[in-house]
Amino acid sequence: MKNNKPKTAAATLATATCALLGTTALAPVHAQEEPEWEFDTALLYYGESDNRVQDVSLNFLALRNFVDDRILTMSLGVDTLTGATPVGAVPFNGPQTFTSPSGNAVATRPAGEIPLDDTFLDTRVALSANWQQPWGRLNTVSGGLSASKEYDYLHLGANFKVSRDFNERNTTVSFGLAFAADEWSPIGGTPTPLTPMAEVGNLSNRMGDKSKDVVDVVLGVTQVINRNLLVQLNYSLSNSDGYLNDPFKIVSLVDPATGDPIARAPTPGADSPSHQYLFESRPDARTKHSFFGQAKYYMGGKVLDASYRYMTDDWDIDSHTLDVRYRWPISDNSYIEPHVRYYTQTHADFYRTSLASGSPLPVNASADYRLGEFDAITFGVKYGWKTESGNEWNARLEMYSADGTVPGDLRIGTNQAGLDIYPDLDAVIFQLGYRFGR
Amino acid sequence: MIIGALILTGCSSMGVEPWERDVLAKDEMQLIADPLEVAIDEHIYFSKEASSGGRGFGGGGCGCN
Repeated sequence: MKNNKPKTAAATLATATCALLGTTALAPVHAQEEPEWEFDTALLYYGESDNRVQDVSLNFLALRNFVDDRILTMSLGVDTLTGATPVGAVPFNGPQTFTSPSGNAVATRPAGEIPLDDTFLDTRVALSANWQQPWGRLNTVSGGLSASKEYDYLHLGANFKVSRDFNERNTTVSFGLAFAADEWSPIGGTPTPLTPMAEVGNLSNRMGDKSKDVVDVVLGVTQVINRNLLVQLNYSLSNSDGYLNDPFKIVSLVDPATGDPIARAPTPGADSPSHQYLFESRPDARTKHSFFGQAKYYMGGKVLDASYRYMTDDWDIDSHTLDVRYRWPISDNSYIEPHVRYYTQTHADFYRTSLASGSPLPVNASADYRLGEFDAITFGVKYGWKTESGNEWNARLEMYSADGTVPGDLRIGTNQAGLDIYPDLDAVIFQLGYRFGR
Repeated sequence: MIIGALILTGCSSMGVEPWERDVLAKDEMQLIADPLEVAIDEHIYFSKEASSGGRGFGGGGCGCN
């Protein structure tokens, strides 16, 4: 969503003031003769090492300015995803065979490797539209709709936001509400949590389509501190209800003494999994609280953009995110912007790398590495340059690296003690963008 | 309400006059200076991490997590 209000309000005020004083505007601010349409386009390549997920996406944003600060924003994104992703099974020193998520084939992964599912292939199309307008002299309201479709996933969303300016428009208080209704419809159906992965053709433990609802509330305060410093503080509450599992993730049943997966007797006449795996089980509700702060500081042409987020939820996950960008003009029409992001999270209380065979099953268990304990760092740099006509090209290259930790109490048996269980991640992000019509 | 009133009272001593907004009006000084890049990043991190949102709405929208 584009936050265009401060720019247009500020630009209008600046120009109106200059007109009263009989001078010209200090900066070439957009006002009164604001171009009607603005476009923002980006081509993205996201690639994980070891032939894991690869994403090529095209993204478009169109913004139409109408009179009286009314703004229509529309976006379109198309993602093409391929590659392999960890299924959650624990590695050991023998090959492992898995039934594919659709239940119609098997694939064998080599000994000693963290098992991946390489049938991952999808196209995602996402659309959104948002309308923003003033409401009275000091309020701004906006409302939007969003939808996205993957082969086996549908998202529909609506959002509403109202903000009010105080203190000569130096303080803006905002309230936002968003609702999402999403639905899983995987081939073969969604698996019943904590039931075994079956042989090819056996879909007896599959359910039909499953849905989840997400409600988000965001309260925010934006404050102009002085001519060069702007800060924002947000609190957000996010409530998810329904089917919150990843239907493709499994947990290994292991020998409590060795930690190795328990072999499964093949089903006569059908390709079968080699070991015993259970489909994951997450709680059917989740409440997240996020506290977010951001500061933008202008230093004689350079801009420091720093933000921090603390997130805590009732799955026992706490996370900290620190993000710093420094935009540095290197000529009248170009800039360079280094970027560093640090992220750390604790693991969910039901995160298990495997489950001991013979013990009572917990109500919830997931070996999804994204629910584990890890730190991640992003280093990047962006370069942007303006054309003679005032349009902007930009290119950025970033490296994302996530490094997980599996505590000793989540390792079972002798063989898991020194095992590399957590699927660490290295990814490259390359984006080429073009903004025009501004 | 009381906290809100205190914040607003405290904030009233900060800020700028309308004719001092030239810097704040610059594109690069907007809280979201590059909306497309922010949207792309939030989508990437949503699919790889257990946290989302904070800056804005964070829920749903992708089968990737």
